[in-house]
Amino acid sequence: MKKVLMTLVTAVAAFLAFGVASQKPASASEPHYIIATDATYAPFDFQDKNNKYVGIDQDILATIAKREGFTYELKPMSFNAATQAVASDQADGVIAGMSITDARRQVFDFSTPYYRSGIGWATAKDSKIKSLSDLKGKTVALKTGTAGAQYAESIQSKYGFKITYFSDSDTSYRDVINGNTAATFGDLPVLQYAVKNGTELKVQNPKDPFNAGDYGFAVKKGANAALLAAFDKGFAAIKKDGTYDKIVNKYLDAKASTFTGSASDNNSVFGILRSNSSAFWTGLKETLYLTIVGIILATIWGLLLGVMGVAKSKFLRGLSTTIIYIFRGMPMMVLAFFIYIGLPGVIGVKIPAFTAGVLTLILNEGAYTGAFVRGGFNSVDGGQMEAARSLGLSHSKAMRKVIIPQGLKLMIPSFINQFIITLKDTSILSAIGILELTQTGTLIVTRNSQGFRVWAIIAVIYLIVITLLTWLSNWVEKRTRA
Amino acid sequence: MSEEKQVKVHVDKVNKSYGDNHVLRDISLDVMANEVVVMIGPSGSGKSTFLRMLNQLEMPNSGLVEVDGYDISDPKTDINKVRENIGMVFQNFNLFNNYTVLQNITLAPVQLGKMTKEEADKRGKELLATVGLSDKADKSVNSLSGGQKQRVAIARALAMDPDIMLFDEPTSALDPEMVGDVLDVMKDLAKSGMTMIIVTHEMGFAKQVADRVVFFESGKIQESGTPEEVFNAPKNERLQTFLSKVMQA
Repeated sequence: MKKVLMTLVTAVAAFLAFGVASQKPASASEPHYIIATDATYAPFDFQDKNNKYVGIDQDILATIAKREGFTYELKPMSFNAATQAVASDQADGVIAGMSITDARRQVFDFSTPYYRSGIGWATAKDSKIKSLSDLKGKTVALKTGTAGAQYAESIQSKYGFKITYFSDSDTSYRDVINGNTAATFGDLPVLQYAVKNGTELKVQNPKDPFNAGDYGFAVKKGANAALLAAFDKGFAAIKKDGTYDKIVNKYLDAKASTFTGSASDNNSVFGILRSNSSAFWTGLKETLYLTIVGIILATIWGLLLGVMGVAKSKFLRGLSTTIIYIFRGMPMMVLAFFIYIGLPGVIGVKIPAFTAGVLTLILNEGAYTGAFVRGGFNSVDGGQMEAARSLGLSHSKAMRKVIIPQGLKLMIPSFINQFIITLKDTSILSAIGILELTQTGTLIVTRNSQGFRVWAIIAVIYLIVITLLTWLSNWVEKRTRA
Repeated sequence: MSEEKQVKVHVDKVNKSYGDNHVLRDISLDVMANEVVVMIGPSGSGKSTFLRMLNQLEMPNSGLVEVDGYDISDPKTDINKVRENIGMVFQNFNLFNNYTVLQNITLAPVQLGKMTKEEADKRGKELLATVGLSDKADKSVNSLSGGQKQRVAIARALAMDPDIMLFDEPTSALDPEMVGDVLDVMKDLAKSGMTMIIVTHEMGFAKQVADRVVFFESGKIQESGTPEEVFNAPKNERLQTFLSKVMQA
């Protein structure tokens, strides 16, 4: 038992060390930046069929980086998380079809505007709604934190509609197509690109966007001046030599299949599996990696909390109760955002998303584990402790030799249950941009608009892994019984 | 001075309450080496609490408890050392469910460094033979009957080679046909000269084995004396009432 535990701990330590070591590829001479983006924003930012991040933004950024001699690591996440990551120094810059607004100028420094855009609005293809005043009493679907959302909010009281929010564009389009909501507001080129690629929406104002404005590349106000200057310099150059126009035309004139693979690939589950097999596999590996590291570390932490919870010392018991109370009571996503986006601003150290994710799992799952471990120890009959103490064993020896072994046996079903919950909870970490299975699904859906099939595939993968995990746990349980 | 040495348990003016419930009132009692003291009395009279105080499973609110010369009413006393010399047998056996019969017996001597694993195994098997359970050494404790469990529990306590044995209603949880086996083991132990303090409802056993019988009622020792004095010529009125009730049943 002890040997097994030691082996596991060593393995986890090795995993983590490897994770940290493999994170910094930067060369010594060129400046290296972390750039946040939102990869669900075609044609500006999305994944192509080879899982490469492409789009107008991405091509501009890559071209400028090459010209100006800097390297960068791309961190895809939700739009809101991307802007917050820059504001909290987790990333150096953000390029995500971000409109330059006065409110944002308070927090960010923007580059030269690189694309002129405006707000469009769209309804389902066969919708009877023809003008904004038709929206009275209806609900519109918006993507959180976008200029489109801001515009819709500003005219909400004038036209009397309700609002529901989503964290990516595709889901909000789906909601309109499915008839749950009447219309959506967003950046005009994004809407037009989606329609061109088969999304069954009708853009209502293709000629005259509202609030016409500009997209800019952004850094935190007062920080990263060199990066911003390099971007501006490079942008002026590619605008002049025609590279910029080539990039824009490449995406706006393209057919869907150029980026998403042939239509036949997207019309069947097997086609989607085949054309995205490497993406699914990478996502699954990340999910498994998170799950294994999370389960092992959360179990160790939970056992520690549980043992503290039945310690002789009142202080340790109180500490255990408090820790369990705080982290069991906090929604996991709040905890993930707090660690990933909140904490670095205070302690001044960047926390890689994977580390933040594992920390979140340890604290959250560990609290639940601690609670049932404590309960398991407490449910061992009090006479066992009295008998052990009466023989002259110390409290800690009685715990180790008599109470803990019996308690652990009672807890095995709870442990199996917690392992399965941990596996499922890793999906929540997609919110901080960890490219695990769920986030992989989001990106694939953005690209091919096959929500039903892709999510069905993802669901089945989770079920298979959970079944395997259950089998493994039951096998281990039987072994410990024998 | 030579007489002092003979005193194994010295209890002076001990009080214990749980909230408003005054369980023990000014109890004093001395137990000599090799003496067998049986404590009788109605349920809730405080006799079990008193017994549990003799190895600090309960702490008195006031008064002095000395066992083997150690003041165990003082929280600073290293109770683990004292307990090594006090065997305790519980009403509900409290055998360790995660060990076999033999492991139950060898756990404490090995863990506390009194014996090597081999010595403990040898001694454990001898003790199992003494209580008539040689064939059960490698069985799980849950496969035993109540009477067998209690005999293992006695062997477990004896493995530490104690000076004093405490018994808290050792036969109360047993089916009637099992009681005899356990009492026989205890009788043999008494004959061997062990100092024993026993809480029980077995009056016949008390008459046969006790050097002294102590009657508890309402948290006080109402009467004590030889079995003849207590059972044949009870002076205390409450004792008379108690005996008439017990003997009827």
